[in-house]
Amino acid sequence: MSIEAINEQLLRSVGVGVALFTDDGHQLEFSNDVFSSWFAGATDNEPLATLFPELDLAAMQEAFDAESSYSTELKFRIKRRTLVVAQTFTRTQVSDQVLIVLECQNITRIRELESMIESYSNMVERNAREIRREKNQVEKLLLNIMPRAAYEEYKDFGVVAPHRHDNVSVLVLEFSDFSNYVNTLPPATLVSELNELFSAFDKISDLLGCERIRTTGDTYRCIAGMQDDDQEHLHAIAKAAVRFVRFLARRNTSSTHTWQCRIGIGTGSVVGSVVGNQKYVFDVFGEAIDTAMEARALAGDMEILARADSLRDLPENISTQETSTAAASKAGLAALCEQ
Amino acid sequence: MDLYEKYGGFGNINKIVMAFYDTLLDSEEIGPYFDDIEMGRLIDHQTKFVASLLGGPASFSNEQLRRAHENLNITPDHFDEMKSVLSDTLVAHGMSIEDAELVMAEIETRRSVIVTKEFS
Repeated sequence: MSIEAINEQLLRSVGVGVALFTDDGHQLEFSNDVFSSWFAGATDNEPLATLFPELDLAAMQEAFDAESSYSTELKFRIKRRTLVVAQTFTRTQVSDQVLIVLECQNITRIRELESMIESYSNMVERNAREIRREKNQVEKLLLNIMPRAAYEEYKDFGVVAPHRHDNVSVLVLEFSDFSNYVNTLPPATLVSELNELFSAFDKISDLLGCERIRTTGDTYRCIAGMQDDDQEHLHAIAKAAVRFVRFLARRNTSSTHTWQCRIGIGTGSVVGSVVGNQKYVFDVFGEAIDTAMEARALAGDMEILARADSLRDLPENISTQETSTAAASKAGLAALCEQ
Repeated sequence: MDLYEKYGGFGNINKIVMAFYDTLLDSEEIGPYFDDIEMGRLIDHQTKFVASLLGGPASFSNEQLRRAHENLNITPDHFDEMKSVLSDTLVAHGMSIEDAELVMAEIETRRSVIVTKEFS
Protein backbone atom coordinates (compact mmCIF):
# COMPACT_ATOMS: atom_id res chain seq x y z
CA MET A 1 0.00 0.00 0.00
CA SER A 2 1.41 3.41 -0.93
CA ILE A 3 1.96 6.20 1.61
CA GLU A 4 -0.83 8.19 -0.06
CA ALA A 5 -3.21 5.26 0.30
CA ILE A 6 -2.28 4.83 3.97
CA ASN A 7 -2.81 8.55 4.58
CA GLU A 8 -6.21 8.43 2.96
CA GLN A 9 -7.14 5.36 4.98
CA LEU A 10 -6.07 7.16 8.17
CA LEU A 11 -8.08 10.23 7.30
CA ARG A 12 -11.12 8.04 6.68
CA SER A 13 -10.81 6.11 9.94
CA VAL A 14 -10.16 8.92 12.48
CA GLY A 15 -13.00 9.95 14.81
CA VAL A 16 -12.98 13.58 13.72
CA GLY A 17 -14.58 14.90 10.57
CA VAL A 18 -11.97 15.86 7.98
CA ALA A 19 -12.42 17.63 4.64
CA LEU A 20 -9.97 19.11 2.16
CA PHE A 21 -10.75 22.18 0.04
CA THR A 22 -8.81 23.80 -2.74
CA ASP A 23 -7.20 27.07 -1.77
CA ASP A 24 -8.15 29.01 -4.87
CA GLY A 25 -11.81 28.10 -5.34
CA HIS A 26 -12.51 26.79 -1.79
CA GLN A 27 -14.01 23.68 -3.39
CA LEU A 28 -14.46 20.36 -1.62
CA GLU A 29 -11.80 17.87 -2.73
CA PHE A 30 -12.12 15.16 -0.15
CA SER A 31 -14.19 14.31 2.96
CA ASN A 32 -14.02 11.36 5.32
CA ASP A 33 -16.96 9.28 6.53
CA VAL A 34 -17.45 11.18 9.79
CA PHE A 35 -17.63 14.49 7.91
CA SER A 36 -20.05 13.02 5.37
CA SER A 37 -22.29 11.65 8.12
CA TRP A 38 -22.64 15.14 9.62
CA PHE A 39 -22.87 17.06 6.35
CA ALA A 40 -24.69 14.53 4.23
CA GLY A 41 -25.56 17.08 1.55
CA ALA A 42 -21.92 17.96 0.78
CA THR A 43 -20.99 17.17 -2.82
CA ASP A 44 -17.66 17.05 -4.64
CA ASN A 45 -16.40 20.48 -5.68
CA GLU A 46 -19.00 22.21 -3.52
CA PRO A 47 -17.62 25.58 -2.38
CA LEU A 48 -17.15 26.35 1.31
CA ALA A 49 -19.45 29.35 1.02
CA THR A 50 -22.45 27.24 0.03
CA LEU A 51 -21.60 24.35 2.35
CA PHE A 52 -21.27 26.67 5.36
CA PRO A 53 -23.12 29.91 4.52
CA GLU A 54 -22.42 31.38 7.96
CA LEU A 55 -18.65 30.90 7.67
CA ASP A 56 -16.76 34.19 7.85
CA LEU A 57 -14.46 33.74 4.82
CA ALA A 58 -12.79 37.12 5.31
CA ALA A 59 -11.83 36.24 8.90
CA MET A 60 -10.53 32.87 7.72
CA GLN A 61 -8.43 34.54 5.03
CA GLU A 62 -7.07 37.01 7.57
CA ALA A 63 -5.97 34.12 9.81
CA PHE A 64 -4.30 32.39 6.86
CA ASP A 65 -2.47 35.62 5.94
CA ALA A 66 -1.14 35.69 9.51
CA GLU A 67 -0.05 32.10 8.98
CA SER A 68 -2.38 30.71 11.62
CA SER A 69 -5.46 28.51 11.71
CA TYR A 70 -9.03 29.75 11.84
CA SER A 71 -11.41 28.20 14.37
CA THR A 72 -15.14 28.54 14.67
CA GLU A 73 -18.12 26.67 16.02
CA LEU A 74 -21.08 25.38 14.04
CA LYS A 75 -24.43 24.45 15.52
CA PHE A 76 -26.95 22.51 13.50
CA ARG A 77 -29.67 19.95 13.98
CA ILE A 78 -29.75 16.36 12.88
CA LYS A 79 -33.29 15.16 13.40
CA ARG A 80 -34.23 16.60 16.81
CA ARG A 81 -30.70 16.62 18.27
CA THR A 82 -28.60 19.76 18.23
CA LEU A 83 -25.04 19.04 17.14
CA VAL A 84 -22.23 21.42 18.03
CA VAL A 85 -19.09 21.00 15.96
CA ALA A 86 -15.79 22.82 16.51
CA GLN A 87 -14.21 23.61 13.11
CA THR A 88 -10.55 24.38 12.53
CA PHE A 89 -9.43 25.53 9.07
CA THR A 90 -5.71 25.27 8.28
CA ARG A 91 -3.96 26.15 5.00
CA THR A 92 -1.22 23.73 4.09
CA GLN A 93 1.04 22.94 1.17
CA VAL A 94 0.95 19.37 -0.17
CA SER A 95 3.52 18.80 -2.92
CA ASP A 96 2.74 21.51 -5.42
CA GLN A 97 -0.84 22.05 -4.25
CA VAL A 98 -2.13 24.39 -1.54
CA LEU A 99 -5.07 22.94 0.37
CA ILE A 100 -7.38 24.03 3.15
CA VAL A 101 -7.77 21.30 5.75
CA LEU A 102 -10.95 21.38 7.80
CA GLU A 103 -11.06 19.42 11.06
CA CYS A 104 -14.43 19.01 12.75
CA GLN A 105 -14.75 17.81 16.34
CA ASN A 106 -18.06 16.91 17.88
CA ILE A 107 -18.29 18.97 21.08
CA THR A 108 -22.02 18.47 21.55
CA ARG A 109 -21.64 16.55 24.80
CA ILE A 110 -19.37 19.23 26.22
CA ARG A 111 -21.91 21.92 25.39
CA GLU A 112 -24.74 19.81 26.83
CA LEU A 113 -22.82 19.34 30.07
CA GLU A 114 -22.02 23.05 30.17
CA SER A 115 -25.73 23.80 29.82
CA MET A 116 -26.50 21.40 32.63
CA ILE A 117 -23.82 22.84 34.91
CA GLU A 118 -25.11 26.34 34.20
CA SER A 119 -28.64 25.27 35.02
CA TYR A 120 -27.49 23.55 38.18
CA SER A 121 -25.33 26.51 39.23
CA ASN A 122 -28.27 28.85 38.80
CA MET A 123 -30.39 26.59 40.99
CA VAL A 124 -27.71 26.39 43.66
CA GLU A 125 -27.07 30.13 43.58
CA ARG A 126 -30.77 30.87 43.87
CA ASN A 127 -31.03 28.47 46.81
CA ALA A 128 -27.94 29.98 48.42
CA ARG A 129 -29.49 33.45 48.08
CA GLU A 130 -32.71 32.24 49.72
CA ILE A 131 -30.78 30.57 52.52
CA ARG A 132 -28.76 33.75 53.08
CA ARG A 133 -31.94 35.81 53.18
CA GLU A 134 -33.56 33.43 55.67
CA LYS A 135 -30.40 33.30 57.74
CA ASN A 136 -30.35 37.09 57.91
CA GLN A 137 -33.96 37.13 59.03
CA VAL A 138 -33.29 34.53 61.70
CA GLU A 139 -30.21 36.45 62.84
CA LYS A 140 -32.21 39.65 63.00
CA LEU A 141 -34.92 37.97 65.06
CA LEU A 142 -32.45 36.36 67.45
CA LEU A 143 -30.53 39.61 67.85
CA ASN A 144 -33.82 41.15 68.92
CA ILE A 145 -34.00 38.83 71.87
CA MET A 146 -30.36 38.36 72.84
CA PRO A 147 -27.09 40.30 72.69
CA ARG A 148 -24.68 39.57 69.87
CA ALA A 149 -22.23 37.71 72.13
CA ALA A 150 -25.01 35.36 73.26
CA TYR A 151 -26.18 34.98 69.66
CA GLU A 152 -22.67 34.07 68.49
CA GLU A 153 -22.45 31.46 71.24
CA TYR A 154 -25.87 30.09 70.31
CA LYS A 155 -24.86 29.95 66.65
CA ASP A 156 -21.62 28.08 67.39
CA PHE A 157 -22.77 25.71 70.08
CA GLY A 158 -26.59 25.57 69.88
CA VAL A 159 -26.93 26.71 73.50
CA VAL A 160 -26.11 29.76 75.54
CA ALA A 161 -24.47 28.88 78.83
CA PRO A 162 -25.24 31.23 81.73
CA HIS A 163 -22.43 33.74 82.11
CA ARG A 164 -21.53 35.93 85.00
CA HIS A 165 -20.41 39.39 83.91
CA ASP A 166 -18.66 40.99 86.85
CA ASN A 167 -18.49 44.54 85.65
CA VAL A 168 -21.36 45.89 83.56
CA SER A 169 -23.68 48.86 83.55
CA VAL A 170 -27.41 48.59 83.16
CA LEU A 171 -30.02 51.19 82.26
CA VAL A 172 -33.66 50.77 83.16
CA LEU A 173 -36.08 53.30 81.69
CA GLU A 174 -39.72 53.53 82.65
CA PHE A 175 -42.36 55.83 81.19
CA SER A 176 -44.22 57.89 83.75
CA ASP A 177 -47.98 57.69 83.93
CA PHE A 178 -48.04 54.74 81.55
CA SER A 179 -51.36 53.37 82.85
CA ASN A 180 -53.03 56.60 81.87
CA TYR A 181 -51.77 56.26 78.29
CA VAL A 182 -52.95 52.64 78.16
CA ASN A 183 -56.42 53.69 79.28
CA THR A 184 -56.77 56.75 77.04
CA LEU A 185 -54.88 56.08 73.82
CA PRO A 186 -56.31 53.77 71.13
CA PRO A 187 -54.26 50.52 71.17
CA ALA A 188 -52.91 51.09 67.66
CA THR A 189 -51.72 54.60 68.57
CA LEU A 190 -50.14 53.38 71.80
CA VAL A 191 -48.25 50.58 70.03
CA SER A 192 -47.19 52.93 67.26
CA GLU A 193 -45.86 55.43 69.83
CA LEU A 194 -43.96 52.74 71.75
CA ASN A 195 -42.59 51.36 68.52
CA GLU A 196 -41.23 54.75 67.53
CA LEU A 197 -39.78 55.45 70.97
CA PHE A 198 -38.17 52.06 71.46
CA SER A 199 -36.79 52.11 67.90
CA ALA A 200 -35.15 55.45 68.62
CA PHE A 201 -33.72 54.09 71.88
CA ASP A 202 -32.39 51.07 69.98
CA LYS A 203 -30.61 53.32 67.52
CA ILE A 204 -29.03 55.37 70.31
CA SER A 205 -28.04 52.15 72.14
CA ASP A 206 -26.44 50.69 69.03
CA LEU A 207 -24.59 53.89 68.36
CA LEU A 208 -23.09 53.91 71.84
CA GLY A 209 -22.29 50.21 72.04
CA CYS A 210 -25.12 49.32 74.40
CA GLU A 211 -27.43 46.39 73.81
CA ARG A 212 -31.12 46.30 74.45
CA ILE A 213 -32.04 43.44 76.76
CA ARG A 214 -35.77 43.70 76.56
CA THR A 215 -38.82 45.94 76.60
CA THR A 216 -41.81 45.14 78.74
CA GLY A 217 -44.70 47.50 78.14
CA ASP A 218 -43.52 50.70 79.73
CA THR A 219 -39.89 49.74 80.46
CA TYR A 220 -36.78 49.56 78.34
CA ARG A 221 -33.58 47.92 79.53
CA CYS A 222 -30.18 48.02 77.96
CA ILE A 223 -26.75 46.96 79.07
CA ALA A 224 -23.11 47.75 78.32
CA GLY A 225 -20.02 45.76 79.20
CA MET A 226 -21.19 42.33 78.18
CA GLN A 227 -18.33 42.19 75.69
CA ASP A 228 -15.11 41.32 77.47
CA ASP A 229 -13.16 44.14 75.89
CA ASP A 230 -15.65 46.86 76.81
CA GLN A 231 -14.19 48.75 79.79
CA GLU A 232 -16.12 51.96 79.16
CA HIS A 233 -19.51 50.54 79.99
CA LEU A 234 -20.54 53.25 82.47
CA HIS A 235 -19.63 55.95 79.94
CA ALA A 236 -21.75 54.24 77.30
CA ILE A 237 -24.76 53.79 79.56
CA ALA A 238 -24.54 57.35 80.96
CA LYS A 239 -24.36 58.77 77.43
CA ALA A 240 -27.31 56.65 76.35
CA ALA A 241 -29.34 57.83 79.35
CA VAL A 242 -28.82 61.54 78.67
CA ARG A 243 -29.56 61.03 74.96
CA PHE A 244 -32.78 59.17 75.75
CA VAL A 245 -33.89 62.11 77.88
CA ARG A 246 -32.76 64.62 75.26
CA PHE A 247 -34.59 62.73 72.51
CA LEU A 248 -37.83 62.61 74.51
CA ALA A 249 -37.60 66.29 75.46
CA ARG A 250 -37.12 67.33 71.82
CA ARG A 251 -39.84 65.02 70.61
CA ASN A 252 -42.26 66.38 73.19
CA THR A 253 -41.96 69.86 71.72
CA SER A 254 -43.50 68.80 68.42
CA SER A 255 -45.40 65.59 69.07
CA THR A 256 -49.12 65.20 69.79
CA HIS A 257 -48.40 62.80 72.62
CA THR A 258 -45.73 63.68 75.14
CA TRP A 259 -43.81 61.23 77.27
CA GLN A 260 -41.89 61.55 80.51
CA CYS A 261 -39.45 58.93 81.65
CA ARG A 262 -37.54 57.92 84.74
CA ILE A 263 -34.18 56.28 84.41
CA GLY A 264 -32.12 54.24 86.84
CA ILE A 265 -28.54 53.15 86.23
CA GLY A 266 -26.80 50.30 88.03
CA THR A 267 -23.28 48.96 87.83
CA GLY A 268 -21.92 45.69 89.08
CA SER A 269 -22.37 42.07 88.18
CA VAL A 270 -25.15 40.28 86.31
CA VAL A 271 -25.83 36.79 85.13
CA GLY A 272 -26.97 36.58 81.54
CA SER A 273 -28.53 33.57 79.91
CA VAL A 274 -31.11 32.36 77.47
CA VAL A 275 -34.07 31.05 79.37
CA GLY A 276 -36.45 28.54 77.80
CA ASN A 277 -36.07 25.74 75.31
CA GLN A 278 -38.79 26.53 72.81
CA LYS A 279 -39.48 30.20 73.34
CA TYR A 280 -36.15 31.86 73.93
CA VAL A 281 -35.86 34.81 76.25
CA PHE A 282 -32.49 36.28 76.98
CA ASP A 283 -32.50 37.68 80.49
CA VAL A 284 -30.02 39.26 82.83
CA PHE A 285 -30.39 39.43 86.56
CA GLY A 286 -28.24 40.33 89.49
CA GLU A 287 -26.78 43.25 91.41
CA ALA A 288 -26.57 45.76 88.56
CA ILE A 289 -30.20 45.20 87.55
CA ASP A 290 -31.42 45.46 91.14
CA THR A 291 -29.53 48.72 91.66
CA ALA A 292 -30.88 50.18 88.43
CA MET A 293 -34.44 49.18 89.34
CA GLU A 294 -34.14 50.76 92.77
CA ALA A 295 -32.72 53.97 91.29
CA ARG A 296 -35.43 54.14 88.66
CA ALA A 297 -38.11 53.75 91.33
CA LEU A 298 -36.86 56.89 93.08
CA ALA A 299 -36.25 58.98 89.93
CA GLY A 300 -38.46 61.93 89.08
CA ASP A 301 -39.71 62.75 85.59
CA MET A 302 -36.86 62.99 83.09
CA GLU A 303 -34.38 62.28 85.85
CA ILE A 304 -31.44 59.84 85.62
CA LEU A 305 -30.35 58.35 88.93
CA ALA A 306 -27.43 56.14 89.86
CA ARG A 307 -25.56 55.27 93.01
CA ALA A 308 -23.27 58.23 93.74
CA ASP A 309 -20.36 55.98 94.67
CA SER A 310 -20.45 54.34 91.24
CA LEU A 311 -20.05 57.63 89.39
CA ARG A 312 -16.39 58.43 89.93
CA ASP A 313 -15.57 58.28 86.25
CA LEU A 314 -18.06 59.97 83.94
CA PRO A 315 -17.83 61.19 80.34
CA GLU A 316 -16.61 64.78 79.93
CA ASN A 317 -19.98 66.34 79.12
CA ILE A 318 -21.91 64.57 81.87
CA SER A 319 -21.85 65.56 85.50
CA THR A 320 -23.79 64.88 88.68
CA GLN A 321 -26.28 67.13 90.41
CA GLU A 322 -28.65 67.04 93.35
CA THR A 323 -31.47 64.56 93.10
CA SER A 324 -35.01 65.88 92.81
CA THR A 325 -36.14 64.14 95.97
CA ALA A 326 -34.60 63.83 99.42
CA ALA A 327 -35.42 60.12 99.44
CA ALA A 328 -33.14 59.54 96.48
CA SER A 329 -30.34 61.51 98.01
CA LYS A 330 -30.78 59.66 101.30
CA ALA A 331 -30.52 56.38 99.38
CA GLY A 332 -27.06 57.39 98.20
CA LEU A 333 -28.16 58.25 94.66
CA ALA A 334 -27.02 61.09 92.44
CA ALA A 335 -28.64 62.55 89.35
CA LEU A 336 -26.85 62.72 86.01
CA CYS A 337 -27.16 65.67 83.67
CA GLU A 338 -25.57 67.04 80.51
CA GLN A 339 -23.25 69.98 81.03
CA MET B 1 -31.35 12.03 53.64
CA ASP B 2 -33.24 12.73 50.41
CA LEU B 3 -32.81 10.65 47.27
CA TYR B 4 -30.75 13.39 45.68
CA GLU B 5 -28.03 13.05 48.32
CA LYS B 6 -28.45 9.30 48.64
CA TYR B 7 -27.61 8.81 44.98
CA GLY B 8 -24.53 10.98 44.87
CA GLY B 9 -25.83 14.53 44.38
CA PHE B 10 -25.09 16.37 41.18
CA GLY B 11 -22.01 14.20 40.52
CA ASN B 12 -24.25 11.26 39.72
CA ILE B 13 -27.57 12.93 38.93
CA ASN B 14 -26.03 14.62 35.89
CA LYS B 15 -25.45 11.19 34.37
CA ILE B 16 -29.09 10.31 34.99
CA VAL B 17 -30.22 13.57 33.40
CA MET B 18 -28.04 13.06 30.32
CA ALA B 19 -29.17 9.46 29.87
CA PHE B 20 -32.81 10.51 30.32
CA TYR B 21 -32.31 13.30 27.79
CA ASP B 22 -30.67 10.94 25.26
CA THR B 23 -33.38 8.31 25.57
CA LEU B 24 -36.19 10.82 25.27
CA LEU B 25 -34.66 12.40 22.16
CA ASP B 26 -34.24 8.99 20.54
CA SER B 27 -37.73 7.82 21.45
CA GLU B 28 -40.06 7.56 18.46
CA GLU B 29 -43.03 7.99 20.78
CA ILE B 30 -42.13 11.09 22.73
CA GLY B 31 -39.06 12.38 20.90
CA PRO B 32 -41.19 14.53 18.55
CA TYR B 33 -42.25 16.69 21.52
CA PHE B 34 -38.67 18.00 21.56
CA ASP B 35 -38.31 18.62 17.83
CA ASP B 36 -38.42 22.39 18.13
CA ILE B 37 -37.00 22.86 21.60
CA GLU B 38 -33.55 24.39 21.91
CA MET B 39 -30.95 22.15 23.56
CA GLY B 40 -30.04 24.49 26.44
CA ARG B 41 -33.68 25.00 27.41
CA LEU B 42 -34.44 21.29 27.31
CA ILE B 43 -31.43 20.37 29.44
CA ASP B 44 -32.24 23.17 31.89
CA HIS B 45 -35.78 21.86 32.19
CA GLN B 46 -34.71 18.26 32.69
CA THR B 47 -31.97 19.10 35.21
CA LYS B 48 -34.51 20.97 37.30
CA PHE B 49 -37.19 18.34 36.80
CA VAL B 50 -35.02 15.41 37.90
CA ALA B 51 -33.47 17.40 40.75
CA SER B 52 -36.86 18.43 42.06
CA LEU B 53 -38.24 14.87 41.89
CA LEU B 54 -35.31 13.57 43.92
CA GLY B 55 -35.33 16.37 46.48
CA GLY B 56 -32.41 18.32 45.00
CA PRO B 57 -31.92 22.08 44.88
CA ALA B 58 -34.93 22.80 42.66
CA SER B 59 -38.62 22.87 43.00
CA PHE B 60 -41.25 23.01 40.35
CA SER B 61 -44.62 24.25 41.45
CA ASN B 62 -47.63 22.65 39.79
CA GLU B 63 -48.36 26.01 38.19
CA GLN B 64 -44.87 26.11 36.60
CA LEU B 65 -45.33 22.55 35.33
CA ARG B 66 -48.76 23.39 33.94
CA ARG B 67 -47.39 26.40 32.07
CA ALA B 68 -44.43 24.40 30.70
CA HIS B 69 -46.67 21.67 29.31
CA GLU B 70 -49.92 23.42 28.46
CA ASN B 71 -49.31 23.70 24.72
CA LEU B 72 -47.67 20.32 24.23
CA ASN B 73 -50.84 18.20 24.08
CA ILE B 74 -49.27 15.41 26.12
CA THR B 75 -51.40 12.26 26.15
CA PRO B 76 -51.71 9.76 29.04
CA ASP B 77 -49.79 7.18 26.94
CA HIS B 78 -46.90 9.55 26.43
CA PHE B 79 -46.86 10.46 30.10
CA ASP B 80 -46.64 6.74 30.92
CA GLU B 81 -43.85 6.33 28.39
CA MET B 82 -41.88 9.17 29.98
CA LYS B 83 -42.35 7.57 33.41
CA SER B 84 -41.16 4.26 32.06
CA VAL B 85 -38.06 5.85 30.46
CA LEU B 86 -37.19 7.69 33.65
CA SER B 87 -37.75 4.64 35.83
CA ASP B 88 -35.49 2.52 33.60
CA THR B 89 -32.86 5.26 33.61
CA LEU B 90 -32.91 5.58 37.38
CA VAL B 91 -32.57 1.84 37.91
CA ALA B 92 -29.84 1.62 35.27
CA HIS B 93 -27.91 4.23 37.26
CA GLY B 94 -28.04 2.31 40.50
CA MET B 95 -31.32 3.37 42.09
CA SER B 96 -33.17 0.66 43.98
CA ILE B 97 -36.56 -0.45 42.62
CA GLU B 98 -38.22 0.81 45.82
CA ASP B 99 -36.71 4.28 45.49
CA ALA B 100 -37.53 4.42 41.76
CA GLU B 101 -41.12 3.61 42.70
CA LEU B 102 -41.11 6.48 45.16
CA VAL B 103 -40.01 8.80 42.36
CA MET B 104 -42.71 7.40 40.07
CA ALA B 105 -45.29 8.07 42.78
CA GLU B 106 -44.00 11.66 42.94
CA ILE B 107 -44.40 12.06 39.19
CA GLU B 108 -47.83 10.48 39.28
CA THR B 109 -49.06 13.27 41.58
CA ARG B 110 -48.24 15.70 38.73
CA ARG B 111 -50.09 13.75 36.04
CA SER B 112 -53.06 16.07 35.96
CA VAL B 113 -50.93 19.16 35.31
CA ILE B 114 -48.72 17.56 32.65
CA VAL B 115 -51.26 15.54 30.66
CA THR B 116 -53.24 17.99 28.57
CA LYS B 117 -54.83 15.73 26.00
CA GLU B 118 -57.09 12.76 26.64
CA PHE B 119 -56.24 10.48 23.72
CA SER B 120 -53.42 9.91 21.23
